[in-house]
This record gives sequence, structure tokens and C-alpha cells, in this order.
Amino acid sequence: MNPAAVKQSSVSLEVQLGRLRLANPITVASGTFGYAREMAGLVDMARLGGILPKTITQNPRAGNPPPRTIETTGGMLNSIGLDNDGVEAFLKRQMPYLAGLGPAVIVSIAGESREEFTRLAARLDGVAGVRALELNVSCPNVSGGVDFGTDPAMCEKVVAGVRDACSLPVVAKLTPNVTDVTSIARAAEAGGADALSLINTCLGMAIDWRRGRAILGNVLGGLSGPAIKPIALRAVYQVAQAVRVPLMGVGGIATIDDAMEFFVAGATAVQIGTANFYNPTVSIGILDALPAALAELGAACVADVVGTIGGKGP
Amino acid sequence: MTEDPRCTCYADHAWQGTVAIEQNVRIARDTFRLRFACPEIARRIVPGQFLMLRLAGTNDPLLGRPLALYDVICDSDGQPALLDVVYLVVGKMTRRLAALPPPTPLDVWGPLGNGFPPTETSHLVMVAGGIGQTPFLTLAQEYLGLKTFGDPPRRVPRAEAVTLCYGGRNRGYLAGVEDFRTCGVQVRLSTDDGSQGHHGLVTDLIGPVVEESPAACRIVCCGPEAMMETTAKIAHRLGLPCQVSLETPMACGIGICFSCVAKIRDASGQWDYRRTCVEGPVFAADDVEF
Repeated sequence: MNPAAVKQSSVSLEVQLGRLRLANPITVASGTFGYAREMAGLVDMARLGGILPKTITQNPRAGNPPPRTIETTGGMLNSIGLDNDGVEAFLKRQMPYLAGLGPAVIVSIAGESREEFTRLAARLDGVAGVRALELNVSCPNVSGGVDFGTDPAMCEKVVAGVRDACSLPVVAKLTPNVTDVTSIARAAEAGGADALSLINTCLGMAIDWRRGRAILGNVLGGLSGPAIKPIALRAVYQVAQAVRVPLMGVGGIATIDDAMEFFVAGATAVQIGTANFYNPTVSIGILDALPAALAELGAACVADVVGTIGGKGP
Repeated sequence: MTEDPRCTCYADHAWQGTVAIEQNVRIARDTFRLRFACPEIARRIVPGQFLMLRLAGTNDPLLGRPLALYDVICDSDGQPALLDVVYLVVGKMTRRLAALPPPTPLDVWGPLGNGFPPTETSHLVMVAGGIGQTPFLTLAQEYLGLKTFGDPPRRVPRAEAVTLCYGGRNRGYLAGVEDFRTCGVQVRLSTDDGSQGHHGLVTDLIGPVVEESPAACRIVCCGPEAMMETTAKIAHRLGLPCQVSLETPMACGIGICFSCVAKIRDASGQWDYRRTCVEGPVFAADDVEF
């Protein structure tokens, strides 16, 4: 790559995640962008590479009791608990709107059983505007869900079941709350995942010592935001060495520098998460800065920088 | 374009940007009035709406904080130009904010949430506790015909009277009382320690105000949850319409994080967790499961 040879305007932003093609690698993470319509007044959503709406389940879920979030240093804990109206309400109220926005809609699904994942996948197969599925096998706030993301054999079965049940590209979203994330990643790949997204939140908690109580209504919660970026980068870097499928990096991304670090570590696309909460237009800002950052490295396309990490130390 | 049967206000008319502090002055114990130029929000915001405010250029504190509109100041051409919010120092963000001089930059997005409905009201009785008086100054100005809000300006039938029942821990915490009196609001005060006004709960003041009123009353309420629950019960017993403005912890203010939920009943009486930012913060008191 010769930096002088590449002009910003000639940089291609398209990326390929298995069978899923995105116009650009900047997407917004599930659970941090509502159902997108909330952002219509603030964000030029048509420009995004992809939108991942809030995770849906088969049946409506009320979610966990408040307080559901608490700020921590450089991050936040959440225990929302997959509050959603269920797949049928999603298809009726949200999907028609999402389908008209332009970006690839990657629907995040969670099941309490392998069968529920499979049923959801079959229900979403062929629905207008649904371009891919993200399997939330990693939400720390729902008992059951996290097991699929911590046991390689179960993870492989869930992914394989979804692959059999639909023709959509499948992305498995993995948890960092395991001893060896590469073993789960290999299992998801063996199950037929088109891509993997790393990472979901890191399990944590906050305590009010004066009252002797946990602050969150559900006691434990998932840590997100800039505080977890080094953990996410590490997971992407390790998994990129272990599998052949492409990766989506997610965890604390809030600037173009953050995004570029994930590409260099091995991510083909990124998901912007918690930063949407405190800077609603952050995703567009990162997208605007991307061509210049790629050109600075002499890259003609995103793939030119993916996984290019070589040396170590200064 | 963004209709959803469960939500009436998304950030469809919101603006996000960076503003500079013009004034940040102490007006009562631990209580400050913050003023900044922001015509984009000033010309659109209506009473009861809020905005998110964040310290620019830092990740600690990380998230914005929701603050109710306190006042809109017009420029020399009579156009809405400046915004006032009033905040109580309660945690990390407000402690740092209180120490910031002009022209420190702040990130802001708004207007957010649903304001108070502009329902025709003969006697508007505003019940406030703690820092809960802040959303009521503009509402009083609107009902007394002193100012209009929104773009285009929303029309509010003028009330015969506006009363503020306002309770605080002690007289030192009562903030902005003169702002209300100047508008022509009848103010009744209470303090926990009796240092000013009625010695006791602000909700003790509601019954006498309603009994003495020759006109039909509508109650609006903002403050600690127990106080709002008591107000809701009093209004229900008296058969008066009542809206409460809920204050729940928010991470985003725009409906995407699902943090700020409260138990809200639907027509069948069943409750569900609803986001106070986009479905509130103003709810009919009878719909809230306290």
C-alpha cells in the first residue's frame, strides 16, 4: 500500500460479511439505537452501513425492574433485560419502517431455547427488508441466553439450527464473559455463522455501600462504553487469528480512531453502541472521517486494513 | 413518518450541538441557574419538555443528564434565543457543572419528551417538591398569557388563576420563588423544618387551595415519587384532572436505551414498563402505577 497513491474519493467503503454485503462498515449496535425511528430527527440513517434493532424474542418481555442503568467511570452498566414486544409486534410496528430506511437491517434475535431461536429465524426468513440475523447468544441479563454463548457445543447447535431454518446470513454475537472466546468463536463458525460480532457487554455490578445494596434492579448488569474497548479489541484480535469468517467489532467505539483500531485488529465492520446514547450523531461522524483515515494508510478499500496488525510495542 | 401507537414524541424536532455557558449562577442552596444561547432549541421547546446536557470533551462523566426547561429568553428582535435550566447539585456531573465558568462548552440535544398538554384550565394548581418546580415556570407564563412556546407557537387558553404549591427541605433550598411571583403566580410554600411557609408536606397545601378556589382546578405535579403518589391520590379523591412529570434515571433521553421506564397502566388496567423520555415525562396521574 502506497499512501501517496490513494485519494480519499477513490476509497471503496463496501464490505462483505459472508453472504451479507454492506455499503459501508459503520453500523449501529442492537440495544443502542432503539428501533431506529427514535433517531429519525437526529441521524441521517440512510447513510449507515447497517442497523441492528433492539433484540426481539418470540413473546413480549417486560424486562427487568429499574434502575436499569448506572453510569460507571468511562462506561455504564445496564440490566434492561430484553424489554420488547415480541416478534409479531416487531413485524407489524417496526419492520415496515426499518425496511424503508435503506441500510441493511440485521435483526437481533434471542431465544430461551434452541427451538425458540429456530422458530424466530423461520418467522423472519423472507420478510421484506430483513437482510440478516444476529443471534444474541450473549445477553448477560437473561438467564438461559448466556448459556448458548458460553458452551461451545450449545453455541454450535444454535447457529446450525438457525442456518437450517432460514436462508438469511447469520451473525453470532459473542460474550467476552468466557475463559477462551476463541473456542466459542470456532464453534459458531463450525455451526455455519457467516460472521461473528464481538463483544457483548462485560458482566459487572455497582454497589451503594451506605445502603448495603446493589444499585441495579437486577443486581448484575452488562458493562459497556469506552471502558470496555480494550477488552473488545483483545477479543477481536484473538478471534481473528482463530477463525476464517469475518468479524464485526463492537465495544466502546466512539471515534474514528476507535473504529480504525478494530479494523486493524481484524474486524471487517464495526457496530457503534453506547456512544449513541451520549452522542446521537456519532455514527455519521465516524463514517465521515473513514475515507481519510483509510487513505492515510494507503488503503483502497476497508479490506486492505482488516487484520493488518503486525508488529508489537513501539 | 415516525408514528408508533405507543409513543407520541420522538426526537423528530430535536437538535444536537455544542453550546457555550453564558451564565451559571447560584440561586439557592446547592441550586444553580444555567443560561446558554441555543435558538434552535429555544424556538421549538414547550413547557414540560426537557433537554440532555453533557460536559463536552470528557468521558467522565460519560452520559448526558436530562434537565427540564426553566425559561426561554428572547433576543432584542423578540426571537427565542437563550435557554435557562435550573439544577440541583446531586452527583458527579452536577458537581462539576456547578464549578464551570462561561464560556465552557456543553453538548446539548433537545427538545425532548412530551410537554404538558395545553388543555383549557380555569385554575392551574402546580404542585412541586425538591427541584420539581423547574418545569412549571414556563407553564405558568403560558397559562397567564405572558409567553408563547413552540414552532409554530402553541395556543393555550388563558387560565383565571395559577397557583404554585412548593415544598423544600428548608428555606435555603427554595429556588426561584420570585420568578413565579413576578409572573403573577400565587405561591404557597412549605418546608420540612418549618423555616418558611407551612411546616410539613407540600401535599397538605393542595386541599385548602382547591377548596378556596372559585374556579375548576387542574393539578400538575413534579417532585419526589412519594409526593407525586400522594398528590395523585388527592386529585383522584377530589375528582380533579392531574398530570405528573416523572423523573426517572435516563441514559439517552431519546428512547433508544430503555433505561427510564416506569410502570404505566393501559386502558385495561394492566401495567407495562414505558419509557418516560419518549412516552412521558408527563403522564396522567391515574395511569401511573406508583
